Amino acid sequence: MKSRDVFSFAFGAVRLRKMRAGLTILGIVIGIAAIVALTSITTGLQVTITSELGEGFSSDTVTVSTQSFGMFGGGSSDFTLLVNDTDTINEIDGVQTSAAIMSKSVMLDFGSTELPLSVTGVDYAAYASIYPSFVTEEGSIPETPANDSVVIGSRLTDPWDNGTVLAEVGDTILISWTHRVGLEIVEKNYTAEVVAVLEEIGGFSMGPSDLGLYIPLSTAQSFFDTDEVNSIAVKLVSDDEEFVETVSQAIEDAFDGLVSVTSPTALLAIMSSVFDIISLFLVGIAGISLLVAGIGIMNIMIVSLLERTREIGILKALGMKSRTVLGIFLTEALVVGLVGAVVGVVTGYSMAIIFSAFSGSMFGGGMLGGDRGLSTSMMTITPVLTTEIILGAMLFGVLVAVIFALYPAWRASKLNPVDALRHE
Amino acid sequence: MTTVLEVEDITKTYMMGEIPVNALRGLSFKVESGEYIAIVGPSGSGKSTLLNMIGALDRPTSGNLMIEGVDVSTLSDNQLADTRKNVGFVFQFFNLIPRLDARGNVELPLAIADVPRSERKKRTKEVLTSVGLEDRMHHKPSELSGGERQRVAVARAIVASPAFILMDEPTGNLDSKTAGEIMDLVKQLNEEQGVTLIVVSHDQNIGRQAGRTLHMLDGVIASDVVN
Repeated sequence: MKSRDVFSFAFGAVRLRKMRAGLTILGIVIGIAAIVALTSITTGLQVTITSELGEGFSSDTVTVSTQSFGMFGGGSSDFTLLVNDTDTINEIDGVQTSAAIMSKSVMLDFGSTELPLSVTGVDYAAYASIYPSFVTEEGSIPETPANDSVVIGSRLTDPWDNGTVLAEVGDTILISWTHRVGLEIVEKNYTAEVVAVLEEIGGFSMGPSDLGLYIPLSTAQSFFDTDEVNSIAVKLVSDDEEFVETVSQAIEDAFDGLVSVTSPTALLAIMSSVFDIISLFLVGIAGISLLVAGIGIMNIMIVSLLERTREIGILKALGMKSRTVLGIFLTEALVVGLVGAVVGVVTGYSMAIIFSAFSGSMFGGGMLGGDRGLSTSMMTITPVLTTEIILGAMLFGVLVAVIFALYPAWRASKLNPVDALRHE
Repeated sequence: MTTVLEVEDITKTYMMGEIPVNALRGLSFKVESGEYIAIVGPSGSGKSTLLNMIGALDRPTSGNLMIEGVDVSTLSDNQLADTRKNVGFVFQFFNLIPRLDARGNVELPLAIADVPRSERKKRTKEVLTSVGLEDRMHHKPSELSGGERQRVAVARAIVASPAFILMDEPTGNLDSKTAGEIMDLVKQLNEEQGVTLIVVSHDQNIGRQAGRTLHMLDGVIASDVVN
């Protein structure tokens, strides 16, 4: 029998039982839609974040710290970076300038509100030359800042978007730092005056943040009573990838390999692998629903096989080969899988678009900022539907349908025509 | 005349649980092209078993069974399926595919045999006309009377011009008037188009019209009478 005839015969069988076929297809649709929605949202999220990250930092800037980035841990060592380590770094070929960054968690008293945030001690001039986003909206960053000056991120003026101004240029903020000396808990206070408010920076960036408070490095050194810094930001003379790598290596060597140098490119790679894991996990969950749909197909086909035993007997009596019977049953599953996959892709993408429309308003205002916590800025996710997602999801749906149909189809093909014809 | 069917000393033994049942105990006969032969006998005489062998649905335990020179007893399942394309079945319960219309049902053997579409259409129409159903082509079996359904079945049996038509109690499910009409139709096909007919029935009367009657009893041929 020609494949076209096999197809039309199988298609006719599927069409005959519309309700049943519809429900079976629905199972596939749900599975595929979940996969497509999740994948396109996570891909969209990834694109949004990487592009914001890409804007947020220049690729000629690297960060030196005593440990490698984030959760991948660097192993603890007693080595610490100090304020004057910038001198060592500045001497390395290819380094344009560097800035030490000292950051501590403190409690801030704005007069009306207290907030736990972190304060960063930096050399304003060096910091601004590394991060172009360190520019003011209001006020100005003094060249030789007074000890009690503080530059604040734009978000701190009106953190909840409701006109509650926390601090403006000229206001004072009481900074209190609680730390441990030996067994005692010591609280230190000092009052800083806001000299400038930064321009809005955006969601994800290295360097300055919309929620940041920046005090002069010397003030930080004396207030926190330490020369130890969290990291040193380094601006290189070129952003050529190979060059960045070479200089990064030189910096590591200068500290006998006790520091790690993180470049934005490496950071992006790590972020993207984290997103890959998240999306794999989510797709795995969606895959389970597809598995359930597959079992549904198998179930339905076994029922259909029992109902159509006589039909199979007739077809065999008319000279149809076992493999053609197998082909008919698999084609029926293929039709179900294909229709389910196509509808599933469309549904899934629509779901993703609807979700992103909702999430836009959620991330922007209420949700994250609602509980008096602060979010840096809003982020809109545009779901991304790539050809890979479409083809992958469809292939997966069709594959699941066909694989679960293998057993019933095989059983149908193995039916003995004599018994099948006698079947009531 | 050519021999379309040659049965040589075939036996068939089934296992009913632990007990072997000898359904066929060694029978031989030949059917020539253009013959109209009836195989009659009471239930349990082995008719159905013999029918399964003649129709290449099953293989004999021993002996040879040749359909147009092809020995069925040695064939694989696939080859057996191919051999069945050379047999036109007509069943007691019609056995039409309910979701296909008359034309679709008649066309099926041609589709299975990979006959090109245009030729299928032409041949199907021709055959349905010859059984008097040219204006019922687009009706589904559920929209046809018993007699009409059996006509569709006859059309389906002859459409691919097989070696012979094998009819299993073709009138068992019809009233006597309709049964007469069907038997007249097949007789006419035999006489006018030279279609070879093998009719298997428990009804002695069925044999009257046939040119030759085989009486079966207890798995053997009790008599072979030319009418």
